[in-house]
Amino acid sequence: MEKENKVKEMEKEEDVKIIAFLCNWCSYAGADAAGTARLRQPENIRIIRVPCSGRINPLFILKAFSSGADGVLVSGCHPNDCHYTDGNFYARRRLEALKEYLPFIGIDKRRFSYQWVSASEGQKWQSVVVNFVKRIKSIGKNEPK
Amino acid sequence: MNQNRNINEKLISKVSEIFGQVSLVVGYCRGNSPLKVSPCLIDEKKDISNLIFNKLCINNLATYAYKLSKKVEGNIGMVLKPCDSKAIIQLCAEGLIEREKFRMITVGCSGIIDYKKILKEIGRQRIISLDIGKDNIEVETIDGKKSLSTKNFYAEKCYWCDISDNPLESDVFIENDDKLEVEKKDKYADIKDLENLSIEEIYSYWQEELGRCIRCYACRNVCPMEVCQDQCIVHLDYPNWESQMATAEENKFFQMIRVMHLAGRCVECGECERVCPQNISIFKLMKKMNQVIDELFGFSAGIDISQKTPLLTYKTIEENIEEEKLT
Repeated sequence: MEKENKVKEMEKEEDVKIIAFLCNWCSYAGADAAGTARLRQPENIRIIRVPCSGRINPLFILKAFSSGADGVLVSGCHPNDCHYTDGNFYARRRLEALKEYLPFIGIDKRRFSYQWVSASEGQKWQSVVVNFVKRIKSIGKNEPK
Repeated sequence: MNQNRNINEKLISKVSEIFGQVSLVVGYCRGNSPLKVSPCLIDEKKDISNLIFNKLCINNLATYAYKLSKKVEGNIGMVLKPCDSKAIIQLCAEGLIEREKFRMITVGCSGIIDYKKILKEIGRQRIISLDIGKDNIEVETIDGKKSLSTKNFYAEKCYWCDISDNPLESDVFIENDDKLEVEKKDKYADIKDLENLSIEEIYSYWQEELGRCIRCYACRNVCPMEVCQDQCIVHLDYPNWESQMATAEENKFFQMIRVMHLAGRCVECGECERVCPQNISIFKLMKKMNQVIDELFGFSAGIDISQKTPLLTYKTIEENIEEEKLT
């Protein structure tokens, strides 16, 4: 009930756009599970399905930011659980390096996050999304000043 | 100048010695202005006497390594400064060139003079003669003579150099009697200055800097590590990564392509900034990525020929990565 109230509150606020890259095997199925279980989520997230988190080129994220996204979320299988054995280990290194780099080109580090959500963790997916949207809303839109 | 003649003679005699083993030597020869030297390719024995080495040899000849390795049959000799040899080491470490194909003729370095700094000081005038001494640089222009203090005119990378006398990898090493004597500076000082600003200020700083970019791609073409120039994603129509508009946002994205491609590979030769016709401080972008990689994975490119680039490998447990919990 508490979570639902939170969600309703958010909907009144300004509309922020968030791009989410989800891996096909865990997080996309996890988000699907959250939907099937009818867990309410804010509607600011646009999901892009990729075969594996290792498929995500850091330039995807930068391109999203430069095309006007307010936040970017990446989610994949938990470490050691990757469908392709080691895709998310490579992804972790790249994404962490990118995350540390973002403030240097004038993008708030908090606008980007990467998470591990498995296919059964619908609940976790919901709370990740709710918290991330909340965070982006508190920072505001990513508009050139 | 005596020193110079000395090192030139040593260089010419060493190159003549090994010329039988190589079919091409890449080196420096006199340029079209007293301020510059020019890279030259030598494939005949009689031309070896054109080779020179002095404090103006700022170009990184390792830039030619990848392209020549595809075109030239036989071995290639390369005149390198110790910092340039890092580029060859990194290219070999990634398997882009073969170590056996290259004869590295490394010359001990006594610091390199950045001609851009001199031009800034004296303005764009015609220079008649230039004499670089240990303490002073004597410049003669059509307006008269001027004396400059040498220690302020070294290339930026010389101020944090610690391998000037110690090439990490070489086949022939030519010792220089002159040593590099500069006041050491912090490599990341300019980055720290920029990071003290707020996010909005950093954003507008880059917007202003990269707004000047004319997208000549000189920074990409001169880079010794960017071997992908002919297949660059910038020129793709589909997917359209980048439009042809030279707006600040598009230019920034072009630099981001370079940064991400050079993550953990940049050998910090500073050539990108040197060739920039608009004097944009692109080198900061590259240095910052190197700093991030160093902090996360403790890796610097171009040191060890057997080490793998950190982004091409992984550990199941990363000590320095703290994952963020959003739940």
